[in-house]
Amino acid sequence: MSLTAQAAEAAAQACTPVHLGDWRNLLAVIWDFLSLSLFSLGGGNTLLSEYHHLAVDQYCWLSSRQFADIYAIAEAAPGPSSMIVGLLGMGAAVREGPLWGVLSGVAAEAAILLPSTLVMVAASLGWSRLRDSPWRVAFERGMGPITLGILFAVGLKILRISDHDTPAYAVSALVCVLMLRTRLSPLWFMAVAGLLGGLGLVNR
Amino acid sequence: MGLDPAAAGSDAAPGLASPRRPSHRELFMGMQQVALSSFGGGLSAWSQRIVVEERQWLDNEAFITGLTVARLFPGPNQINMAVYIGSRFHGLSGALVALAGMLLLPFSVLLLLGLAYFELHMVMAVDRVLAGVITASAGMALSMGFKLVGGYNRDPVAMLLAAASFLAMSVFHVRLIPLVLVTGPLAMAWYWPRQR
Repeated sequence: MSLTAQAAEAAAQACTPVHLGDWRNLLAVIWDFLSLSLFSLGGGNTLLSEYHHLAVDQYCWLSSRQFADIYAIAEAAPGPSSMIVGLLGMGAAVREGPLWGVLSGVAAEAAILLPSTLVMVAASLGWSRLRDSPWRVAFERGMGPITLGILFAVGLKILRISDHDTPAYAVSALVCVLMLRTRLSPLWFMAVAGLLGGLGLVNR
Repeated sequence: MGLDPAAAGSDAAPGLASPRRPSHRELFMGMQQVALSSFGGGLSAWSQRIVVEERQWLDNEAFITGLTVARLFPGPNQINMAVYIGSRFHGLSGALVALAGMLLLPFSVLLLLGLAYFELHMVMAVDRVLAGVITASAGMALSMGFKLVGGYNRDPVAMLLAAASFLAMSVFHVRLIPLVLVTGPLAMAWYWPRQR
């Protein structure tokens, strides 16, 4: 992508990044992550659309293409891919310098993990009482289908922001099928696709 | 990547293991070992191998219960599992220590990758490679729903709920929190266990 195209994208974005130095902005951001924490059904991937909404549409920390990049980095990196929140936090403050980027990343990750961790501690300690409760049964069976629908919506969203032409869609479709039909590590798919990108066979 | 911890064999005799009670320090180190071993994938299998077979903190049944609880409650599954293990032995402080042990190294690596990305993503070669990588990660994201759909496709109400949630989010751009607050109670009412 040329510099003019990047400038065009920056212009199309047409919103200024929210500055975290203002403590009211900072509190609003922390509140957003704290409240999303308890809605991370099905392992946290259900939150990806919300992360995109916050980071790209609402606060303008990242462009859509940067979000797609960050998602890929979080998937490729070792450890739980839900740590993507740390990279969103970093994107919010890295303009002010790398130290602020790291601090902001740690703060965002702490905010997204704190409420769900507290609930999980209570659930672990009280599981013997919860296990046979009708609330547990209804929650487990009721939330499953909703999670399913949301995961399809999230997958489609990531696909839309990542792929823009036929070769890109073809690679994504192939990877999707291979994910379902084989037990190969996804790292292989990313490595091969990265090679295709490097050779100029797949573009944005 | 190629390693399958379950097939790697173990000297520990299953069923004979008596659970041991780890200290905070041992919790931290154990979770760090899980995180390190699973660089490249298979975190849940490594966690079982280290926590159940090697260190014998939990028996297999308690471990599987932990997986169930971790999947049921909000939060990333693997992180919830660390919280489950830690809180079993030392409550909240144990949970936080286990969490720190699990996240410290991978999160540091991720932040370094992030810094590298924000410094370098304007470099043409990096951008071109990433342009390829994101097509693969998009395919991975797309597979998440398909992976789960087999569990629900014989239940028309479940499929209706899934379709409604999908349409609300993708077509009508309803945000997650209001969506779950409306559909969640309806679904729970429908699936409330009935007396027979």
